[in-house]
Amino acid sequence: MSSFAILTDVTRCTGCEECVLACKSLNETGDRDAPRKWQGKATDLSSTRWTTIAHTEDRHVRVHCRHCLEPACAAACPVKALHTTEEGVVAYDPSICLGCRYCMMACPFSMTRYEWESANPRVRKCILCYDKMKAGEIKEPGCTAACPEKATIFGERDALLVEANRRIKDRPDLYLDHVWGEHEVGGTSVLYISDVDLASAGWPADLTNDGVPHLADKVLETVPTTFAGVGLAMAGIHWVIGRRNKLAAEAAAAHAAAEAENTVDTPEDEEQS
Amino acid sequence: MSLNTATNRRLITTKATLWFLVGAALVIAAVRYALGLGRTTALTDTTPWGMWIGFDVLSGVALGAGGFVLAATVYVFGRERYHGVVRAAVLTAFLGYIGVILGLVVDLGRPWNLWAIFISQNLHSPLFEVATCVVLYTTVLALEFAPVGLERFSWAQPIVRGLKKAVVPLVILGIALSTLHQSSLGSLFLLTEARMHPLWYSPLQTPLFLISAVALGLAMVTLEGMITSWLYKREGEWSLFKGLTRAATFVLPIYLVIRLVDLGVRGSLGYAVDGSWFAVLFWTELAMCVFIPVLLLTLPRTRGRNWAIGWSALLMVSGFILHRANVGGISHMAVTGEAYVPALTELVISMGLVSGLALVFLFFIEKLNVWEEPPAEADKFDRIAFDPVNQHYIGAPWFGGGQRAAVALIAGAVVGLIMVEAQVAERSVNQPSPVEAPRNVLLTRTADIAGPGHVFELASLGTGGATAAAAELQRGLLIDSGGAGRYVLFEHGAHQDSLGGQQSCVLCHHRNVPLDLATSCSHCHTDMYEPNDTFSHAGHETALGGRESCAKCHLESDAAKTRIAAKACDDCHRPAAGTRVKASPDARIGVAPGYVDAMHGLCLDCHRQQDATLAENAYLGQCATCHRHGFDDKEELIRWSREVARAGGAGDGTKAMNR
Repeated sequence: MSSFAILTDVTRCTGCEECVLACKSLNETGDRDAPRKWQGKATDLSSTRWTTIAHTEDRHVRVHCRHCLEPACAAACPVKALHTTEEGVVAYDPSICLGCRYCMMACPFSMTRYEWESANPRVRKCILCYDKMKAGEIKEPGCTAACPEKATIFGERDALLVEANRRIKDRPDLYLDHVWGEHEVGGTSVLYISDVDLASAGWPADLTNDGVPHLADKVLETVPTTFAGVGLAMAGIHWVIGRRNKLAAEAAAAHAAAEAENTVDTPEDEEQS
Repeated sequence: MSLNTATNRRLITTKATLWFLVGAALVIAAVRYALGLGRTTALTDTTPWGMWIGFDVLSGVALGAGGFVLAATVYVFGRERYHGVVRAAVLTAFLGYIGVILGLVVDLGRPWNLWAIFISQNLHSPLFEVATCVVLYTTVLALEFAPVGLERFSWAQPIVRGLKKAVVPLVILGIALSTLHQSSLGSLFLLTEARMHPLWYSPLQTPLFLISAVALGLAMVTLEGMITSWLYKREGEWSLFKGLTRAATFVLPIYLVIRLVDLGVRGSLGYAVDGSWFAVLFWTELAMCVFIPVLLLTLPRTRGRNWAIGWSALLMVSGFILHRANVGGISHMAVTGEAYVPALTELVISMGLVSGLALVFLFFIEKLNVWEEPPAEADKFDRIAFDPVNQHYIGAPWFGGGQRAAVALIAGAVVGLIMVEAQVAERSVNQPSPVEAPRNVLLTRTADIAGPGHVFELASLGTGGATAAAAELQRGLLIDSGGAGRYVLFEHGAHQDSLGGQQSCVLCHHRNVPLDLATSCSHCHTDMYEPNDTFSHAGHETALGGRESCAKCHLESDAAKTRIAAKACDDCHRPAAGTRVKASPDARIGVAPGYVDAMHGLCLDCHRQQDATLAENAYLGQCATCHRHGFDDKEELIRWSREVARAGGAGDGTKAMNR
């Protein structure tokens, strides 16, 4: 399969949380989530709960890593511990992670969590069961396999986009004409369709369609130029000012010599005269 | 060079305080590595960067800016006048960067993976660029400062001469590296736009950080010169400080204009006048960084005065530290909504780090020629151990600098241990897993095809219409049954209908029980605690086809037709997709134990064991011990309890009681 993606249909989700239980058992994150004092709710995303369901008044919206096509977290990571695989999954390699948590600062959706209790902590988030799928243990992520309503399905991103648009076209009375994740922050591998606006369910309305790393990338591209430019400019200034000072010093010396000659000569002249 | 270190009270007190803080920080750092960040800091998933990044790293780099600014002034722009403070500035910068690296190592979750930066580089990461430049520049600074340390050794003279010859290329390399990482520190926050207050986010973050670093560097050299002059009671280089702060007044307006115009162009200036706390913070920061220093340094009445120079340097330094903290964390609170207050432990580690570097700085100042004009040698006398006349021992001068430092260090360590203990105790507490509020769901109730009873299924808008007639959809509730994602499915609609529609709400809700939102199930279902057979043999027989159907459950014809030998319930009652009400996998229980039986099974056994150990006055196994008012005739009660004990089973006990 060339790309890994997930489509979640909010209208089909019953909020049963089988996906959460499947995720927890497959990734062995423990039966119960012990919420820390500062954590809002036990059912919020945490280092032991990589996917959860945000329950609004009458809708249930899955929440997990969006697997951005241009991930801010991977751009932030100085050592590529977080990186995009060829399938578009934002995967994680704890063996080289420094624990700087810049990824957590950068994520526009705030999806990354940290093992704060550990003395050797890891960054935790949904990795689309990438390790187990690569090892051939499973054919699709635990969450999509567990969903009894097929409200969240696994497939190729292009195929899922076609499917999403087909559903919207079939039931224009039900769905809003928008596929969340198609364009936001440069596109994500986790797509949503819904009959209500998802602005309050993890898709802020002010997201642009530009990838988050674009601006920093542009600035970083100028690094070699800046380095060489500043170096050359400083060397140039040093040479110019140094030469000016040298000339001034020479002139001053010549002047002083002349003066000295004058002052030495004058009395003699006076004496002679 | 010898300074008046032995008799200078200012210096003694300051050093003792610094050692105290170092001791506290060392202990806290040790605990932080043993227990992890969670319990020793106030950091959370919402606020993953705190004081160690916002102050130690961001401000540390900015404070070190004095090094490249002064080096450029003297070596590139040829202002030889400032040569007197260049060594101190380079030393400050070098120690500042060591502080940055140490601060980062404390903050990193897995600093033992730092080697990874050599094998796996992400050139798209601003943090990678900052880290690389910081390490390279620290090396450059070490080389720039090395001649000061080496000049006293004769063997090192060739190295010193070589380094002195290379000073201009080194300085230029240092300036280029500084330009890059001072500005890239701003680029760090191009990636975090989503969590920043608009007043502190800017696409021009990169140049803004560079320009402010220049001003900050000038102010920092001034401030550091003033503090050390005060400490060692020497005359400061006030004419140089005047020139340095004057230069800052040309840089600051450039910074101000870029910042305000950028905010204006992007339409964010409105946030500065919206009356919020963040607007106040914004103007406070600008007043400290720009307005007050520029006024103090240009108004004819105040400019050139030492106090004006001192205050403006202090304001600039603290103002830009505030700016770095705002960009790095404080302004994020407006978006995340989580108030982050650094824990005492974080605060002490930061202070201990600064203290340790200050001690190294003072050590260098006392031992090396950091100043071109050292202060005049002070009167100095050593306490002696032996009487000069009769050579009797009169006590060693034991309480010298070393002992003072050790005492302060140990005192600090003890206080640090108490602090970290308090913080760990505070953060180790998990919040009790709260009972989730009942959730509204849609459900269908269909007759079970496989047997008697009904199947409840959660329905949704998308599938509900397809699988069941819309009329069959009813409102239900999922009631939390003790967390861990398991719920009891409650047919709210059906209850409402059977109890009398709209008029019936009050039957369950609003019974005026304090803190009780709804009546418990047992209020109406009074029999839920009584023993009852969950298995209806007759019902199964009818549903499966009368007398012919025995073999469907009693598979082995020659075995006794008992419950134990029959099929398990969940062989037929398979958990249907979407159902929450599932048969337990090992469900073979026919009689659900009632409340009484359950209690007796759990409590009475143990009480009986206790009873056996108390030969005389046996009472724990007696019913009256609990049932104080249940039996009138005490004799009969005791007889009954013995009967129960002989029968040795809770089930029989029930029979006895029912009798």
